[in-house]
Amino acid sequence: RQRWRADGRALRKLPVHVGLVVTEEEPSYADMASLVVWCMAVGISYVSVYDHNGIFKRNNSRLMDEILKQQQELIGLDCSKYTMEFANQDKTGQVLNCQSTLKVLSPEDGKADIVKAAQNFCQLVAQQQRTHTDLDVNVLDNLLNSTNGFPDPDLVLKFGPVDSTLGFLPWHIRLTEIISLPSHLNISYEEFFSALHLYAACEQRWGK
Amino acid sequence: MSWIKEGELTILERFCANIIKAGPMPKHVAFIMDGNRRYAQKCHVERQQGHSQGFEKLAQTLRWCLNLGIQEVTVYAFSIENFKRSKEEVDGLMDLARQKFSRLLEEQENLKKHGVCIRVLGDLPLLPLDIQELIAQAVLATRNYNKCFLNVCFAYTSRHEISNAVREMAWGVEQGLLEPSDVSESLLDKCLYTNNSPDPDLLIRTSGEVRLSDFLLWQTSHSCLVFQSVLWPEYSFWNLCEAILRFQMNYSALQKARDSYMEERRRQQLERDQDYVTRKLQQEGCASHGDSRRRRTLLQKCMAMREERIQGFLQALEHKRADFFERLCTVSA
Repeated sequence: RQRWRADGRALRKLPVHVGLVVTEEEPSYADMASLVVWCMAVGISYVSVYDHNGIFKRNNSRLMDEILKQQQELIGLDCSKYTMEFANQDKTGQVLNCQSTLKVLSPEDGKADIVKAAQNFCQLVAQQQRTHTDLDVNVLDNLLNSTNGFPDPDLVLKFGPVDSTLGFLPWHIRLTEIISLPSHLNISYEEFFSALHLYAACEQRWGK
Repeated sequence: MSWIKEGELTILERFCANIIKAGPMPKHVAFIMDGNRRYAQKCHVERQQGHSQGFEKLAQTLRWCLNLGIQEVTVYAFSIENFKRSKEEVDGLMDLARQKFSRLLEEQENLKKHGVCIRVLGDLPLLPLDIQELIAQAVLATRNYNKCFLNVCFAYTSRHEISNAVREMAWGVEQGLLEPSDVSESLLDKCLYTNNSPDPDLLIRTSGEVRLSDFLLWQTSHSCLVFQSVLWPEYSFWNLCEAILRFQMNYSALQKARDSYMEERRRQQLERDQDYVTRKLQQEGCASHGDSRRRRTLLQKCMAMREERIQGFLQALEHKRADFFERLCTVSA
């Protein structure tokens, strides 16, 4: 069952942070859990889950339960090697070993988070602890909370028929590759992996 | 006119345009015009030629947009990241800009006739001074035209734009024009370089890349994103129609998502305002936080005062920006 890690290593490049963005109205906890577990198994360090209605976020524990269940099923004997740390989760406990971290996000982590950071900065300015010229791209980046400790997503896997990110982390996706898949319902590992394959093939020029 | 190609649609094109126009049409389309250099390589010409061809294609695409009734177009012409390119290429692009903006100024009659309002969005002080001056002239000369709008992002990245907007709000607080609690999504919207435009309905990126590259990240959060593999200098009327069809297919889902987002935003703002009023009433020692009339009056008063502050701030911001352009024009006079 070393297959997962080997698959990951076979790719020319593996994303460090994958955003799983669902644009379908009815999200499936089981399928999303599979995707999260596959990401982890293949060696992706940071995973975020998003839907624009905030359903996953509101039903956090249900998703976590599904993930734990799938981890045990899928990883089986190798479970001692994997831990999943659930960032911003309350659930600890029977967590298996791997080196991945998960965040469940919603629109409030997007523009609203930027606005909160802006308000906080303006509060400091009002208290004369900062001046407006102190604020540049890096300062603002550091003031954002929604993805504390997470690098920007290198890849977004977008599921569903809607051709939009629907408010997913607008600030953080400036260089993110956006790969679309028709649906997350009954998604197969092969479909998931072929998207990773596509990502590995893309050339990034960074403006140069 | 060099920036907008003269000419009408062919019969076949007009036929298809009429079919498409039966459905919802985007009012504002944004383009990431990618692929000039790969095109040059493909045709075995110099990079600079690729960029020139890219400009020609821009002029043609603007003509198609006008023919289709699309009134506003925003293009990503030069990213702050592009300064990282070789000196030769950057100089070449700056020269192209000089050439095109100078031509633009020679065609003022045409601009007036077609009512084209040109805006240039970006961290303009990063550009050579003479280009800033040309840009200022073009922007000031066309600022009152309103038949169609062309926004050129030059020395631009979205993160710089958003940071700049936050900085402006902080400046507003420093100047005593704003309270920190006035900061909101809608105020930030009004501080972006794009504050005079509605959000793009449709964002098109050519050459097959599937990323946003720091372009209009805030404004396109609910836009229809269409990635097309054609290289920009080879873009065709049919490619444009294809993108518009995709927009039409996404139309209701995006409307719905946008509406629910705005509704949630309004609800949260109201909640914040109610909380503020509750605290205020408690401060006044009123047992009357049960008095709904007092509460309503206070709420209205707070909202009105905030609106006044915001109007004052936005006016000051408008003046600051107009000043920037006017000062550049007097330099060159």
